[in-house]
Amino acid sequence: MENPVLKISNISRSFGAIHALKKVDFEINRGEIMGLVGENGAGKSTLVKIISGFDNGYEGEYKLNGEVVRFENPVKAELSGIAIAQQELSLIPNMSVAENIFLAGAKVKKFATIKKLSEEAKPYLDAVGLTDIDPSIRINLLSVGEQHLVEVARLISHDAQILILDEPTAALGEQESRRILEMVQKIADSGKSIIYISHRLDEIFKITNRIAILRDGESQGIINTKDLNVDSLVEMMLGRELKNMFPVKPTKIKEDTILEVKNLWPDGLIEPVNFKVQKGEILGLAGQLGSGAGEVLAAIAGALQIRSGSLVLNGKEFMPSSPQQAIKNKIAYCSSDRKKDGLFLGRPIMENLTSPALEVISKFGIRSASTEQKYSKNLALEFLIDVKRLNDESGLLSGGNQQKVALGKWLSISPEILLVNEPTRGVDVGAKSEIYQRMRELADNGTTIIFASTDIQEVTYLPERVLSFYQGLLIREFGLNDIKTTSILKQITDPFNETNL
Amino acid sequence: MQDLISSYKKNLLLSILLTFFVLLFLYGIFATNNYFTWFNFKTIIRDAALYGIMAIGLTFVTLSGNFFLLSIKETAAICCVSFAMGMSTGYGVESWVGSFPISLLVTLLIGCLAGAAQGLFIGLGGNPIVVTLGGAGILYGIATWWTDNLVISFRRPNDAEWLGTGSFLGLPTITWSFILIAILAEFVLRYTNFGRKVYLVGSNRAAGKATGHENLSMAIIVCTICSALCAFVAVAFAAQMSSAQANYFSAEFGSSGDMTILVIATVMVGGNSIMGGYGNTIRTSIGAIFIAMIDNMMVLNGLNSGPRIVGVGLMIVFSILVFALYAKGSRAQE
Repeated sequence: MENPVLKISNISRSFGAIHALKKVDFEINRGEIMGLVGENGAGKSTLVKIISGFDNGYEGEYKLNGEVVRFENPVKAELSGIAIAQQELSLIPNMSVAENIFLAGAKVKKFATIKKLSEEAKPYLDAVGLTDIDPSIRINLLSVGEQHLVEVARLISHDAQILILDEPTAALGEQESRRILEMVQKIADSGKSIIYISHRLDEIFKITNRIAILRDGESQGIINTKDLNVDSLVEMMLGRELKNMFPVKPTKIKEDTILEVKNLWPDGLIEPVNFKVQKGEILGLAGQLGSGAGEVLAAIAGALQIRSGSLVLNGKEFMPSSPQQAIKNKIAYCSSDRKKDGLFLGRPIMENLTSPALEVISKFGIRSASTEQKYSKNLALEFLIDVKRLNDESGLLSGGNQQKVALGKWLSISPEILLVNEPTRGVDVGAKSEIYQRMRELADNGTTIIFASTDIQEVTYLPERVLSFYQGLLIREFGLNDIKTTSILKQITDPFNETNL
Repeated sequence: MQDLISSYKKNLLLSILLTFFVLLFLYGIFATNNYFTWFNFKTIIRDAALYGIMAIGLTFVTLSGNFFLLSIKETAAICCVSFAMGMSTGYGVESWVGSFPISLLVTLLIGCLAGAAQGLFIGLGGNPIVVTLGGAGILYGIATWWTDNLVISFRRPNDAEWLGTGSFLGLPTITWSFILIAILAEFVLRYTNFGRKVYLVGSNRAAGKATGHENLSMAIIVCTICSALCAFVAVAFAAQMSSAQANYFSAEFGSSGDMTILVIATVMVGGNSIMGGYGNTIRTSIGAIFIAMIDNMMVLNGLNSGPRIVGVGLMIVFSILVFALYAKGSRAQE
C-alpha cells in the first residue's frame, strides 16, 4: 500500500565466524510505530546499529526514501533524519534542559544566553509533552522518565524523521511509562516514524502498528499487531528448538529447607519478602529490570542495604552485613555486572579463579604456586575454561568465557548457596548452554542455586520453582508443573491487568 | 615474531627505562669526570636507598588502588624529630637518653599510628589526597610545635651511628636495608595472600569487596607499611646527620627539595600503575636508582638545585606519558 520510508532487504552481518544477522528484512512506513522484538542476542542491536549508521560493514540493501544509502557514521545518518535514543541516557546531568537539547548539531549560534536557548527549546519540549518544564533548570532535577522525553525532544530538534527508541521504559514505573507511550503515539501521529524496541510485550501490543520479529539473527517476518497475541508472538520470538539448550529438570521438588528468607526488605522493594529455599534446588527469581528480583539476591549476599529481615541458614538465624560474612557462611554471589564487580579484568584468569579462596590454597598466609596452579586448573576444567589461557588477563576473554570465570571462581569456596544475578547476560548461545548444564550439575550435587533473570527462557526452562517479581513486589510462586512461559511473562509484565490485554 | 613484539610491548616501559639506563651510564663513563668511581657508585645507591625505601612503602599504597600518601615528608619529619628527641632528651626520662632501641621503637610507633589513622579514614571512603593533605598538615604542625622548629642534635659518638654512617662489606648500612626491604616486599607481594589481595583490590575494588576483600583493612595496612618505612628512613637520616629538624625533608633533602614528590616520582618512573593493580617493587627500585643516577649526573655536571628539580619533574611527566600510551595499547578494552 504505502511506500516505506526505510526499507532494508537481505541484510547480513557477521563478526568473524558469528553470523549476527542472516538475510534480514525490515521496513517502516511514514507515521508508523514499528515494534522490534527478539531475545537478547537475536540481533536487534546489530540491526539498529546498521540503521543508525554505527555499523556499515553489512551486506545487503538499505534504502531510505527509495534511494540506496550506506552511512559511514552516525552523524551522516542523523543528517538524513535517522536518530536514536539509547537505552542509557546520554544527557549531561549538570547542564540545563535547554543546553542538553542543543548539545550537538548546528541549530544554535556559538554564543547564546540561557534565555535565548530556553525560548528555542520550548517548542521541542512542547512536542514531547513537557509543557510545564522550565528549560533553564538543571536536567538532573527531572525524573528519569522526563529525562527520556528530553532525549526524544533532542532527536526531534535534529529534524529526525525516523526515531529509534531503545527500551525507553526499561527503568521506569508504570505511570512514567504510560507518559512515554502517549508521547510516542503523539509523535507518530505528527508523521514521524518510530522504531520501538522493548522487552515489555504489553507495551509493544499497545502502541505498535506492526511488529518485526528477530530470532537468532533471522527475520521471522513483519506482522500486523492485530494478527498476533502474546502466545503467538512469544513462540515466534523463542522458537521451539531452544528448549534443547537446557538440562533436564528433576521430576519433583526437593523438600529439605536449607534457607529461609524471613521478612527481608532490601532497598528497592516495596514490601518485605518471605520464602523458603530447598537444598539442592534451582530457584528462579523472574522479573524485569527494576522488579526487585536482583535486589533480593544482593541482599541475601550482604551486598545491599536492607531495612529489615533475616535469613535462617541450616536452622541458624543470621544476616550478613557484607559479602565477606556471606562468603564465610558459604554463600556466594555473582552479580549481574561482571565488569563492575565480578572480575578483576586486569589480572590473570588464575588469580580471578582463586580470589575468593586464598585461605584454602595457602598455609600461614603464604601460597605455593603449584597448589594454586592445580586448584585453578581443576576449576577451569570443571567450567570448560581453556586451561592454556590461565595466565592471560581475564579482560581478554570473550563475554561467555568471562562469565564462566566470574561464575566459576565461586566454586573455589564450595558454596552451599550460590546466588547468580543474570547468569547469562551478554553470553553467546553455546556458552549459555554450558553454563546451564553446569548449574544443574551443581544442584544435583547438593549446591542450592538461586538466580534472578530477565530472560524468560532461562526462567522457564532452568529452575524447578519460580518466584515472580513486579515493580518491587513478590507476586507469586510457580511450582514445577505450572511454570509456563506465557503465564510467567504475564506475571512479570502485567500481573494486575493494567493494560487489559 | 608476534611473540617478540608482544613481549616488547608488554615490557615497553621497562625496555625504554633500561635503554636510558645504558645510555646514561655510557654518557657518564665517557663524558663526566669522577663518574665511574667506587665512591660515586656508593653515593648513587645511598641516595637511591633513602627514597627507594619510602617508595617501596608507597608502592603498596599505590598498588592497592589507594593512590598516594601526600604526607610522606611530614611523616618523615615528625619521625626524625621524634628520634632526635629520644636520643638527646630520652623523652624526659633520664635513663632513656641516648638509648637507640627506645628512640627507634617510639619513632616507629609514631609512624605506624600516623599511617594507620590516615589509612582508617581512606578505608572509610575518604579521598586519599584530601585525607593525607590534612594528615600532612597535622603531622608537620606537631613536629614543629614539639621542637619549636629548632635543630635537635645529639652528640657523637652515639648508638645510632652504625645505621647512619656505618657500612658492611663496603656498602652503607642503609643500602643493605634497601636491598633487604626490596626483597622482602617483593616476596610479600608475590607469595603471600596479603600481597595477592593488594593486587586484587587495586585492580578492582568493587570485585574485591564482592570476593570478601574489603578495602578498609587493606587501606589501614598499606598506609601503615608506608608510614613505618618512612619512619625507618627518617631514623636513618637523623642518625646520619646526628640531628633533626622538622623541615629536613622539605628543604635540604636530595635534588627535588621535596621528599614527597621525589618518592611519588620514584614509584611512577618505575612504571607502576597509578590506578593500582599493576606493578611491583622491582620497578620501584629501578625507578629509585634511575632517579639517583640522573640526579648524580646533574650534580657532577655542576647543575644547582633549580635545574635538578626541573629534571625530576620532567621524569614524572615522561613516565606518565609512556605509561598512558602503554596502558592504552595493552589492556583489554572490549
